[in-house]
Amino acid sequence: MEIIEKLKTNKLIDNQTEIQKICLHKLQSSPLPNPKSELWRLSNKSKFSNFLNYSVNEKNPKFDIPYPENSQGTIRLIIGENCQIKLIKENYSIQQLNESELNKYIKEQIACFDQNENWSDLLNLSLSSTKNLLGLKINGSKIPPIEIFSHASSNSLNAKTLVIFLEKNCDIELLQVNLGKENSSLSQSTFFLLEENSSVNHGVVSYGENRSNLLNSLNVIQQKNTEYNLGSLHFKFNYARFEISIKQSAGNAKTNIKGMQITKKDEQISTYTKIDFNGPNGFLDQINKSLADDKSHAIFEGSIIVPKIAQRTDASQLSRNLLLSNLAQIDTKPQLEIIADDVKCKHGATISQLNEEELFYMRTRGVTLQEASKLQLSSYFQEIISFIPISKDRWDLLDKLLNEN
Amino acid sequence: MVNENLVKDVVKEPYKYGFVTDIETEKIAKGLNEDIIRLISQKKEEPKYLLDFRLKAFKKWQKMDEPDWAGLGYKQIDYQDIIYYSAPKQKEKISSLDEVDPKLLETFDKLGIPLTEQKKLTNVAVDAVFDSVSIATTFREELAEHGVIFCSISEAVKNHSDLIEKYLGTVVPASDNYFAALNSAVFSDGSFVYIPKGVTCPMDLSSYFRINSGDSGQFERTLIIAEESSSVSYLEGCTAPMFDTNTLHAAVVELIALDDASIKYSTVQNWYAGDEEGVGGIFNFVTKRGKCLGKRSKISWSQVETGSAITWKYPSCLLLGEESVGEFYSVALTNNLQQADTGTKMIHIGPKTKSTIVSKGISAGNSINSYRGLVKMGTKAAGSRNYSQCDSMLIGDQASANTFPYIKSQQPNSEIEHEASTCRISEDQLFYLQSRGIEFEEAVSMMVSGFCRDVFNQLPMEFAAEADKLLALKLEGSVG
Repeated sequence: MEIIEKLKTNKLIDNQTEIQKICLHKLQSSPLPNPKSELWRLSNKSKFSNFLNYSVNEKNPKFDIPYPENSQGTIRLIIGENCQIKLIKENYSIQQLNESELNKYIKEQIACFDQNENWSDLLNLSLSSTKNLLGLKINGSKIPPIEIFSHASSNSLNAKTLVIFLEKNCDIELLQVNLGKENSSLSQSTFFLLEENSSVNHGVVSYGENRSNLLNSLNVIQQKNTEYNLGSLHFKFNYARFEISIKQSAGNAKTNIKGMQITKKDEQISTYTKIDFNGPNGFLDQINKSLADDKSHAIFEGSIIVPKIAQRTDASQLSRNLLLSNLAQIDTKPQLEIIADDVKCKHGATISQLNEEELFYMRTRGVTLQEASKLQLSSYFQEIISFIPISKDRWDLLDKLLNEN
Repeated sequence: MVNENLVKDVVKEPYKYGFVTDIETEKIAKGLNEDIIRLISQKKEEPKYLLDFRLKAFKKWQKMDEPDWAGLGYKQIDYQDIIYYSAPKQKEKISSLDEVDPKLLETFDKLGIPLTEQKKLTNVAVDAVFDSVSIATTFREELAEHGVIFCSISEAVKNHSDLIEKYLGTVVPASDNYFAALNSAVFSDGSFVYIPKGVTCPMDLSSYFRINSGDSGQFERTLIIAEESSSVSYLEGCTAPMFDTNTLHAAVVELIALDDASIKYSTVQNWYAGDEEGVGGIFNFVTKRGKCLGKRSKISWSQVETGSAITWKYPSCLLLGEESVGEFYSVALTNNLQQADTGTKMIHIGPKTKSTIVSKGISAGNSINSYRGLVKMGTKAAGSRNYSQCDSMLIGDQASANTFPYIKSQQPNSEIEHEASTCRISEDQLFYLQSRGIEFEEAVSMMVSGFCRDVFNQLPMEFAAEADKLLALKLEGSVG
């Protein structure tokens, strides 16, 4: 593991920034996550070491985004390429965070990090150069949709960091796209702060090419009266981890999450979510879907933490899984940790294959088995895809998923 | 608004089995080493293979670490400060119950366990275990007529050595986990049941475990073998006196069901739970596992866990035989500073296997009540099904209820469903009952009883009554 060796000898990064120094120092004391911990126990060791086997690439070679050109009014940003933005309009403004604001916030976050839980963030912040660190401050209303791209280039490891402050009473649609190239590793960390009365429709679409790897970490802090909606989709990665941590810092907030991961061949994709209710009247509705085919492995672990202060929390979490092959495997672990008594919490999990009765019904009406399976899968995917903002009209994600099948 | 204090009062109930029997006992020195294990084995006049089994387990135990993944908070156990063998002094061999020390009989009478005159009244055979040894087993002759062997494991070692040698440690291997290894090294007594081919056991069998000594641990081992087409219902009860110190209880239970056999294993666990400040109480670390070896075999666990300061217990089923069935029904009630980490493991290995899990947790006071379970579908478990339901009820805002289900599937042609919910005593329901003239205390008791109904329905008659009474007792209090 090239990265770890260099990290131990502190030869990883030249001209370290202050944040890089802090994170590198933390990592040097224990360079790898504890493989026995729940968060890393099922992580495939050889695939994980593969992730760390590329050298860090701070440059961003030009690469074509395989998506339609900007449609009207959409703001498109590519981390590491066109990060210069200052849009001040009549009813909204989008500007870069200045260095001191950005550093202050990141340092505050690092202070709360747990070495094991936030290992991906520590690595990301250690490797992410100033150029690959984008901080945005958004306020106002009627803001056009925003698309933010992160990409990795072949035979290297790229680290990109995104920090977004959503100021009070602000309302946005944001799509984050993480693209992996063949034989590459992408480390993406995102920090979101939702100030009071703001709301976000956040989409995260990550897909790779042959043998690409991804560590994607998302940290969200929701203040009072905020609404955070996340639709996410991860597919085509040799190894991918999506770690979501959401904190309702003072309760009275709404969180909706709909996520999906699709694994094929010998891929391993995992989603870990931790939802922390730190005040009363919190709301969560989460559904995570997995589909595992061939020899692949899909993992979901979700924890809901309701301390005493979080009275009247209403949280539900559902893990639905489709297992399509004899050699594939699915692990799922929804968890509830509750101390408050006046709460409504529930979770559910199912693992099965395609519904035989539905298939039979369609076949008796002349639909071929292949088409019937596609129809079933399309309804399975549709629930998640329709929750991802912007993408649904333009990007034909559904076609992409179904035709890959 | 429900008065929190009222509900808290309702779940307070003094422990009524906390008395100590003043009886002369034979104890060995504190501590654990090879010599102690040899001494236990020698006292029990065991054959060499069993001594080897113990010593091997001890070696493995020495290399193991105490598990901490359950996150239970308890003061460190000093394994050298425990007496590993303690037995009431009595005559070498007892030919009838009349020769048992009357004080012992009195103890069990006080606990409501009839060993003597009442024994004919109830149709349950009892094996009573006092500290480290079994003191009496009732109904033996009647059972023997059907070919059923029901005796203490020490007797089985002497009289049915072939069965012990064949099956002991095959379900829970000595190196399975830290506490199973410890038990394998020092197990003192327990029950042995063998149901021959085609026999339906004519009565329920029951073991009653009593810890009397404050500084000795209890390490019993139970082995139940159900041959082809046989069936048995086995009940287990536990109590202990109130001491300020913590007593360790590390038991192992192994069940084996062959073709078409069925074993129903029910537990009402009411070890002393410690006082309101969390002083004293039993540390209950138990490994229970059943192996459905035969086709269409069935193992059903039902448990009512109300005692112990710490409960660490996951009765499990290994479903190997085709179409075998595993069941787990559990009620766990924790109060004050009790911590219960309990659940089950359903490992589906054979095809068309089925399992059902119903777990009800009630946490009150400052207690922590966790469900931790595993459902696994192996690659050959085609056509298998699992259904799990875990419900938790919280009483008071200091109690904690956790659910940690772990689901793993490697078989597309299988179905797993899991659901869990957490709620508190519904104010609407309370109001409804109270408005119809039902006392607050009784209303809470009714609601808790209703919450647990799915599990109580699975208990054998004798136990269902006891469990309901136990819960009602725990809920009975000083309201009014």
